[in-house]
Amino acid sequence: MLNVLNDLNVLNEMIIPPYLHKGDTIGLVCPAGFMPLEKAQTAIDTLQQWGFKVKTGKTVGSESKNYFSGTDEERLNDLQEMMDDKHIKAILCARGGYGTGRIIDKLSFKKFKKNPKWIIGFSDITVLHSHLYSNYKIASLHAPMAAAFNDEEYKNEYVQSLYLALVGTEANYKCETHEFNKAGIAEGRLAGGNLALLAHLVGTSSDINTKNKILFIEDIGEYIYNVDRMMYQLKRSGKLEKLAGLILGKFSDMKDTERPFGQTAEEVIRDVVKDYDYPVCFNFPVSHDKENYALKIGVKYTLTVDAVVSLNESSNLSK
Amino acid sequence: MNRKDFLSAVVPLATVATAVAGTKKIKEEDSLKIPAYLKEGDIVGITCPSGYITREEIQPAISKLEEWGFKVSVGRTVDAKDFTFAGNDELRTEDLQQMLDDRDIDAILFARGGYGAVRIIDMIDFTTFKKRPKWLIGFSDATVFHSHVNRNFGIATIHSKMCNSFPADWSKAEPSQIETINSIRKCLIGEKMQYTAVANEKNRSGTGEGILIGGNLSILQNLAGTKSDIHTAGKILFVEEVSEYLYSIDRMFRNLKRTGKLDKLKALVIGGFKNKPDDAGEEFGRTVYDIVTEVVKEFSYPVCFDFPVGHQKDNYALKCGVKHRLVVSADGVTLKEV
Repeated sequence: MLNVLNDLNVLNEMIIPPYLHKGDTIGLVCPAGFMPLEKAQTAIDTLQQWGFKVKTGKTVGSESKNYFSGTDEERLNDLQEMMDDKHIKAILCARGGYGTGRIIDKLSFKKFKKNPKWIIGFSDITVLHSHLYSNYKIASLHAPMAAAFNDEEYKNEYVQSLYLALVGTEANYKCETHEFNKAGIAEGRLAGGNLALLAHLVGTSSDINTKNKILFIEDIGEYIYNVDRMMYQLKRSGKLEKLAGLILGKFSDMKDTERPFGQTAEEVIRDVVKDYDYPVCFNFPVSHDKENYALKIGVKYTLTVDAVVSLNESSNLSK
Repeated sequence: MNRKDFLSAVVPLATVATAVAGTKKIKEEDSLKIPAYLKEGDIVGITCPSGYITREEIQPAISKLEEWGFKVSVGRTVDAKDFTFAGNDELRTEDLQQMLDDRDIDAILFARGGYGAVRIIDMIDFTTFKKRPKWLIGFSDATVFHSHVNRNFGIATIHSKMCNSFPADWSKAEPSQIETINSIRKCLIGEKMQYTAVANEKNRSGTGEGILIGGNLSILQNLAGTKSDIHTAGKILFVEEVSEYLYSIDRMFRNLKRTGKLDKLKALVIGGFKNKPDDAGEEFGRTVYDIVTEVVKEFSYPVCFDFPVGHQKDNYALKCGVKHRLVVSADGVTLKEV
């Protein structure tokens, strides 16, 4: 059965890791910043309630005393072991921060290619998503991480959307319209993630090709001028010209300089893409805040921007 | 040789290089163009391609340029303001374009940095400038121009302080401030430049010779993958940065590495790096020295730290796109134009 699936996937030029079943094991790692175990406990409990087993990596709640969850070697080894372990069916990155880019070129995808599994996370994990997509055409999950489960939030629809994505339920997301939206219907594979990381990866071996894709971006805590500058980098490196559609998530906690920039992040982005005629939607629930739907990177979706915005997985159209 | 004759001398040389190289790609240094150096009475244009500044704030720079024997032409973007910008994109484009094309203007000094050059760079028409190059002078956001001009036209530029660094009261300026501002004049009139930096135990000794290129680290990352992205193979790369978190500095050095900019250098020059302090609980645990040392450990070229270039008082004028020799030893560092 799996072989048949994989053959179909080859035809689609995209590898979709197998969805999870009850009893499957999810590995938990910190490839970037440090996270104490207690902050990941609710996530662990919830994954178990969902019917999965959890294997907690050495980098979660490690002895590290600095920014990182361990040395580069420790983080690399933890993630590598989880990727290579046949008994682990998905890997949830407990948090982002910074550090995935320091180990990405040392990871071996040899076994992972033969035995792909869902890699889950966002923010700094954009490095893994982009790298997997551009080099191995393996789909991955841009979704809430461990901290999102805390403070009773494991019940919310965004954390729940991770469960639904993992067990293979097709997503049908909706969000409200926005005054800057550009109406239209787009069909394409999803690509994207955190703007700062996407800009950081331009010109490297992890850089994504955005042609005919539905690109989604979100960011947090950036200066507005820097959002402008990063959008110009995407534009000048040819990433905005041939999109099927564009989804802007939330741009949370934006900062301004002493001399005000005079525009919001949304206005900046509206202006950078004003010459393109693909559909664009703003304020989609993908973000560093609570509003953060699980999105399968590399999977085909249909984006409809109208009086209501919807994003639907379009597997029946992808064959 | 006067300026107007300069290019007719350069063009045949370039032609010879092409002919000798035949179908082989000519080496970049063979096609390098050095704009004519300035002489008394030449005109320096001042424009703001990025952030806004007032006429009053640039007066000290105007006075000094005139004292040096140059005339000054002040662009329309000085005193213009559109929030953080010195006028909207159209005005900043037009002002720079006019100065690039104006035969009477012999060099262009950017009044200040800030942000905005990348918004207008693709609207600038360099056709006339390519035929009659002139010195473009500035740093920080102006790294966009240094990189773009170097990559696309092989024309040398000057990385230096801008109008906003000229002290209103020269008598109260620190010696290093005076010396570095005077270094702009030395560059402009064609003196062979020479710099020294103090010995640093973190330095990696050695000698490297090549074209000098570089600028602000954030801007270099921002240009990666675009048509303004620099080629660094066989060159001496210099970088400087200010007010960034250490993790972000680390990430940007990884960008240089992962875009192939560190593996074929002749030498690496690290200027000022006044970083933003870590947030509580987010201690990065590494200094800029550690970050750089780690990222270049598999290479063997010389590396020098704390070179006097950056967002600081001792920020010497450097000729980008011109061949230099860097000597790093236990006794100190010298960088010489060759």
